[in-house]
Amino acid sequence: MNRHRTNPGSRPTALLLLGAALFATACGEGGEDAVEAYDNTEEVEAYYAANAEFFREASPDDLPDDLAWEDGSDLPELGSPEAVRGGELRARIQDFPRTLRTMGPDANSSFRPYILDDMTVRLAHLHPDIAGTHRYYPGLAEAWAMDSDGQRVYVRLDPDARWSDGNPVTSDDMRFMFYFFQSPHIQDPWYNNWYGKDVNYTDLTVYDERTFSIGLVDARPNMAALVLELYPKPREFHRDFGPDFVERYQWRFTPTTGPFVLTDDELEGIRTDRTGVSLERLEDWWADSKRNWRYRYNPDRIQLTVIRDTPKAFEAALAGELDFIGGMGLAEYWYDQLPDDHPLVERGLIHKTTFYNDVPRPTYGLYINAAQPILGDRDVRLGIHYASNWQLVLDQYFRGDYVRMNTTADGYGDMTHPDIRARAFDLAKAAEHFDEAGFTQRGPDGILVNEQGQRLSFTLTTGYESLAPVLNILRQEALKAGLELQVEILDSATAWKKVQEKNHDIAFTAFGVGVELYPRYWEFYHSANAYDVPYLEDGSTPNPDRSPNPQTNNFLSTAIPELDALIDAYDTSDDLDEMREMAYRMEEILYADGSFVPGFVTPFYRTAYWRWMRFPEGFDVRFSGAPTEYNLYWIDESARTETMEARRGDGTFPRSVTSYDQWRTTP
Amino acid sequence: MIRLDPLALKKLRRFKSIRRGYWSLVALVVMLALACVAELLVNHRALVVRYEGELYFPTYAGFIPGTEFDLGYAYETNYRELQERLEAQGNSGNFVVMPLIPYGPLENAYPGEFFMPRSPDIGKGHWLGTDTQNRDVLARVVYGFRYAMIFAFGFMAGVYILGILLGCLMGYFGGGFDLAVQRLIEIWSNINFLYVVIIATSIIRPNLGLLLVITVAFSWTAMTYYMRTATYKEKARDYVAAAQVLGAGPGRVIFTHILPNTVSTIVTFIPFTVAGAITALTALDFLGFGLPPPTPSWGELLKQGTQTLKTAPWIVSSAFTAMVIVLTLVTFVGEAIREAVDPKQFTLYE
Repeated sequence: MNRHRTNPGSRPTALLLLGAALFATACGEGGEDAVEAYDNTEEVEAYYAANAEFFREASPDDLPDDLAWEDGSDLPELGSPEAVRGGELRARIQDFPRTLRTMGPDANSSFRPYILDDMTVRLAHLHPDIAGTHRYYPGLAEAWAMDSDGQRVYVRLDPDARWSDGNPVTSDDMRFMFYFFQSPHIQDPWYNNWYGKDVNYTDLTVYDERTFSIGLVDARPNMAALVLELYPKPREFHRDFGPDFVERYQWRFTPTTGPFVLTDDELEGIRTDRTGVSLERLEDWWADSKRNWRYRYNPDRIQLTVIRDTPKAFEAALAGELDFIGGMGLAEYWYDQLPDDHPLVERGLIHKTTFYNDVPRPTYGLYINAAQPILGDRDVRLGIHYASNWQLVLDQYFRGDYVRMNTTADGYGDMTHPDIRARAFDLAKAAEHFDEAGFTQRGPDGILVNEQGQRLSFTLTTGYESLAPVLNILRQEALKAGLELQVEILDSATAWKKVQEKNHDIAFTAFGVGVELYPRYWEFYHSANAYDVPYLEDGSTPNPDRSPNPQTNNFLSTAIPELDALIDAYDTSDDLDEMREMAYRMEEILYADGSFVPGFVTPFYRTAYWRWMRFPEGFDVRFSGAPTEYNLYWIDESARTETMEARRGDGTFPRSVTSYDQWRTTP
Repeated sequence: MIRLDPLALKKLRRFKSIRRGYWSLVALVVMLALACVAELLVNHRALVVRYEGELYFPTYAGFIPGTEFDLGYAYETNYRELQERLEAQGNSGNFVVMPLIPYGPLENAYPGEFFMPRSPDIGKGHWLGTDTQNRDVLARVVYGFRYAMIFAFGFMAGVYILGILLGCLMGYFGGGFDLAVQRLIEIWSNINFLYVVIIATSIIRPNLGLLLVITVAFSWTAMTYYMRTATYKEKARDYVAAAQVLGAGPGRVIFTHILPNTVSTIVTFIPFTVAGAITALTALDFLGFGLPPPTPSWGELLKQGTQTLKTAPWIVSSAFTAMVIVLTLVTFVGEAIREAVDPKQFTLYE
């Protein structure tokens, strides 16, 4: 599965929802006790030497003269000049982190954004306000240059760039990054594959301490993303990186290029106290006065408290212990628990904001496994489309706030098919299709049966316990069409595994998607991810003996020769216009195939926060998924005191319930 | 007619004389009887429909499509709508008789409106309000009670059959068999049933039978200890020796001679086993490891209720009150039974 399509480090993963881990984590109390000294200098050097064609050395004179260096200085700056440094953000995490590593087992947790995703500085960052053609602003790189013909990106590091332990960021850290991600010691095969030789990258050529270039396997429209979104690994800190990485680094804080760190005191503290974690801001962060960075990451401290349940976190927030009030995405909290006429909102102590964003949307919907005998019949699948009353879910459960998803890839701007509309609930059409498939009679319980006496009944699997009401509603409505859906709610990891192994009938799930230039099709719809040998020798007749290909993301078991050909062409194209045509055609094929029932799209994020939280004009950036994601906010600590006093008494401030729809894409 | 021996009759009289326990039992039996016919009391299906000269009894008859009553849809008839319609038509001889509470435990009682809890409204027939998915809380409490009691009795039967059988065998045969089974039980009882349930239900879709099998499989061991000692005690008595001398085999000795004399030990446990089973099922449902949605259950109501404590207190209070009432009644019955069979007052060996 050596395929490549997206930004580094964003593999399509299960979109986990409120996964309340029941088993308390028994974190090893290891730490620095009894860790043997280790020095990998020789083995790393030997690896570089053995892979000299990947880890190339060159001299600055080898740099082409005609490179067009870019530095994103023409782009609007992020953040607000009014932002004030200081204060403490008090936030909630659902579980105490199981590790401080950012990769390897247990690392992909809700804590990781605080030490990696939202915090680390990459070579350059996608400008979050500019869609269409993606543009980058500098991070660790001072400037970069594309060479599309040579399929190569040149990068010059900022001489000021420093790790939080004081060491400068150099080309050697980039080199080590490839070593690190190619190493089996990290126990994370996805990275091994992505960063492996000739999967995405052909080589890293180092010209001097701050200049290097990275060669790419193909010229793709997203080659900037493939290189510029990389982030180095600190070479010095990893001198003892070795086979015991997972245990040795379990509770070590890796130096970061971002502003927030776990201090030594804190690292000592969390060995015994697992009620929370706090991050301190560096006093002299190297990017403090850099454009695009100077007005961001404003608090001095981020205090994260472990609160497992949403209702409890909600109460803690209303008591003023948390700065943001959680759960606002749910209609129940937004309208019933903290309505606009709630005293704290009415008195202007808590502000409510709806921010419409413009990002690729997670693919919530029903994934019908076409490999199951009855579901292999297209008419049954289309019947299920018409028997799924999403409009009712949208109107009455989500109270008209969410909108229907229409294609398999909503939110990609003009890369999303503009005309396809998801099939609406229609009992007559459902009956027509079920009839066509041989399900003509209703049994004594009202469920359709065919001539062989098979009932039109399927298991509907999900790992989203909190969305069980949605499935109950779909189930009750589907009964009207004579279709029985047996709701099966599993532990989120188990559900994901079951679906990946294609043991499901119908699954309700979603893929989390990052901001990308164009959608991906290969993982989700290519026959190679559905079956071991999808076709007979002619390349198009379905192979009667094929068996499902487990551990892949083709949850629909889609195998359509025409689609395969399009996907292959799409994945090697370097022309965005051509790719758009192909994407439209692929959507049409998928629509006709009817294995994916598009669910819903949340076209915004909603948040409520105490009035001491301050935001830039326009509130947030176009691609933002949460108010803290881009760290544009700041905290007015004097307002905090004032507000808490008012809360105890009867003080009031101007009420603020706002909506920002400058990036709104839905009607 | 079963003829009870004088001893048992005496215990029964004693039990009857403990008013609190006796009336609790009566109340429980009435509730159980009502729960058995819950479909006639709390249901979205009509009791009787008379339409164009024909009589229908949909309660137990199953699915009747709307087309049957010229409603223009092929799915199940909405009898409340049908009732309104027929009433509007006036004196045509057609009528619908709905149960006391005309709502089922699964249906959306407010079609066309937001899914949100609504407070009790006796006029609309929602005596205890609705839950977050517009389902009638009373209907869910009643059907939840039925599931809880089915579970409790199934659990009791399973635990007692296994526990009594193995306990008696251990006590009767003693020796190596007893020793070996005891060790096995010690190992087995160290497996926490809660973990097994959590693991099992997170990988397969649970149902009542599966939950029963798992809980019984990990709960029968306690009963063996009592039965083992009781059997040991009885086995040493002369009547057992007499039976053996007369040529009775182990089966006959255990089940017709020893068991009736040890039964009083077990009887006292019954109510507490029932209470334990109800609590266990509720706890599992509360944690999300019990019956799959949308099965009505008290645990599921409690879970919803704790999340909507401020906005919809009627959900949690309904489920909580129902649970307290049932558990209190069961406990009263249990106390009375224990008192009634207390050997200190009724032993033949003074």
